[in-house]
Amino acid sequence: MGVQGIDDEGWGSAMDLEAFRTQLDTWLDAHADELAPEFTGAATLDQHMEQIAKVRRLTFDAGWARHGWPESVGGLGGSSLPRAYLSEALTARDLVYSGVYSMPEVLGPSVVTFAPRELSATMLPRFLRGDEVWCQGFSEPGTGSNLASLTCRAARADDGWRVTGQKVWTSLAQYAQRCVLLTRTGTIESAHRGITALFLDMDSPGITARPIETMHGEPEFCEVFFDDVAVPFDRTIGRENEGWAFAMDLLPYERSTSLWQRAAFLHRRLGDLVAEADPDMIDPVKLGEVTQLVYAFRARSRATVHRMARGEALGAETSIDKVLLATTEQAVFDLVADVLPAAVTIDDDAHCERWRTEFLYSRAASIYGGSSEIQRNIIARRVLDLGDDR
Amino acid sequence: MIDGDDLDLFERSLRAATERHTGEALDTALDELGWRDALSFDTRAAVSRLFELQGEAAATSSALDHVLAFAIGRELDGSTSILLPAIGRWEAPGHVEQGRVTVHGFATASRPSTMLVAHDADADADMAFRVGTAEFDVRSVRGVDPGLGLVEMRGELDAIDAEPVAWSDAVSLGQIALAHELVGASRQALALAREHALERVQFGQPIARFQAVRHRLAEALVALETASAVLDAAWLDRTPVTAAMAKATAGRSGRTVARHCQQVLAGIGFTNEHDLHRYVRRILVLDQLFGSHTTLTKRLGDEVRTTRTLPRLLPL
Repeated sequence: MGVQGIDDEGWGSAMDLEAFRTQLDTWLDAHADELAPEFTGAATLDQHMEQIAKVRRLTFDAGWARHGWPESVGGLGGSSLPRAYLSEALTARDLVYSGVYSMPEVLGPSVVTFAPRELSATMLPRFLRGDEVWCQGFSEPGTGSNLASLTCRAARADDGWRVTGQKVWTSLAQYAQRCVLLTRTGTIESAHRGITALFLDMDSPGITARPIETMHGEPEFCEVFFDDVAVPFDRTIGRENEGWAFAMDLLPYERSTSLWQRAAFLHRRLGDLVAEADPDMIDPVKLGEVTQLVYAFRARSRATVHRMARGEALGAETSIDKVLLATTEQAVFDLVADVLPAAVTIDDDAHCERWRTEFLYSRAASIYGGSSEIQRNIIARRVLDLGDDR
Repeated sequence: MIDGDDLDLFERSLRAATERHTGEALDTALDELGWRDALSFDTRAAVSRLFELQGEAAATSSALDHVLAFAIGRELDGSTSILLPAIGRWEAPGHVEQGRVTVHGFATASRPSTMLVAHDADADADMAFRVGTAEFDVRSVRGVDPGLGLVEMRGELDAIDAEPVAWSDAVSLGQIALAHELVGASRQALALAREHALERVQFGQPIARFQAVRHRLAEALVALETASAVLDAAWLDRTPVTAAMAKATAGRSGRTVARHCQQVLAGIGFTNEHDLHRYVRRILVLDQLFGSHTTLTKRLGDEVRTTRTLPRLLPL
């Protein structure tokens, strides 16, 4: 079914989630062969990126991936719930690599809100359709949890910004055509008041991306060096020195639809584990607890996704979702390590290597996107109202 | 459905009742404000609001009896209790064998008559009986939480005048109610620990400034919000599996909250002079009613391990 078919059913603006679910499931079944990856088990990041691009293109062209995005960026409008269901359905069917699939969910909504209209109208459809990869240039070598201290500088020249500095842990920078970059435009002392967000072409002269090999052997992120990189003024996202508002707008999105998709991934893999494992290796109390955690994380995320769809402002309370993700993901893969010890430690076939990769990846769940310690600081100050910690 | 202003009013009345009264006085107050009518026309509002508030106030009432009776389609008068299962268990508190019923369970208070449900393995049915409490050996439970006023009952009687009921419905709704009570008790324990952390000064500053303290309280909040999320899912889902998960999660969360809060309150939290002990005690016992977080979790794990299938998911 194409876009035409969807519009015929009158789904353009007010999407009925139940109808969307049924129709999408039918479409996914009918196109299973076309959508399936060409690999099984562990795959290289190149293979995952190719598969994600293919799935994005097929789902965008068929209209599914356009729901929940405004018409101004090539979407069909309507609630964000179909977006969440699409990511869940693709993950539950093991069609996309969960670790990086949700990048449009993280970057897209805030770009729609803050970027110049022409810029988002031109660029975002390419991202949503998988024609392009974007990366998020936030963290720096000296700026991990303390984002407001970033130093990558954008200086005003006559014809635009000149960017000089360094970013690190920039996921997918070596694949990316574009970068959403936070730069220092005020003094260092101005902290969060002197930050400006820019939209860069990654093929601009002066950009070097050096992939960093993660513990699981794939270069998922990079160090990125900027040496006097020219960026036109019309590539400014939001206003000068107001990049912090953009960054803060973006963070809750990182903790709604993309966490919901991660819950689908954890559910899928826990299901795979119990289907595959020797029952004698399973401690029922641990399995029961991990099952409850996955369902609890999913229940929490479900509520957050529904709040976002109702237009409620998401805030510091989404730090609870992130802490819960980290706890749950690590519990799932600690169970995997107990139940499939050979897969995680010594076997080398692609199937076992996938379990090993995912176990290792789970160690990062309490680190990326704001460490669990930072999340607890946020919960303490802003949700429990315990006052300043210094 | 109770909604909008009515719901606010309903909740305010319940809060006033649970804060001022406990035991029989709370039962009277609940009757006066129409809680039992609310139970049938908006079960979720009646159960979730009352049990959270009852947990927060560490109050007691016969509300659980009415919830269980409602779940199996019966009405209780004020002089009847309904028997709860043995500690850590969810199975009906009695079993029928060769025309005799063997009973071991607990009641929220000693009342003149007792309704009990017994499992008849031969008939593969759960049967409800109403008998005089005088037929049982009755022991007032002191235990870790004397304030809860539980009564332990044992006995054997003839299996006559029984009617089949759906005990599993009572188990699910009972688990949901108790999970709400656990969340309420946890919330109040956290409020007490938070207040202490802001007031208690050491090294010239409130201990709430210390990250070790902040992180414990943050973890406590994560735990209780997690339980709350599963409860919401249980109301939407209405499956026995989700109700049991809500109870297990609320029990485990309660224990986590109690541990962190008692540590933050330190010496004073270990005394009977500060209110925290009431919540620590209440959480320990509530965790055991209608399945504890350990017994329910083991049952779920056994089920998943044997069937090699995860329970159905609540859809988005």
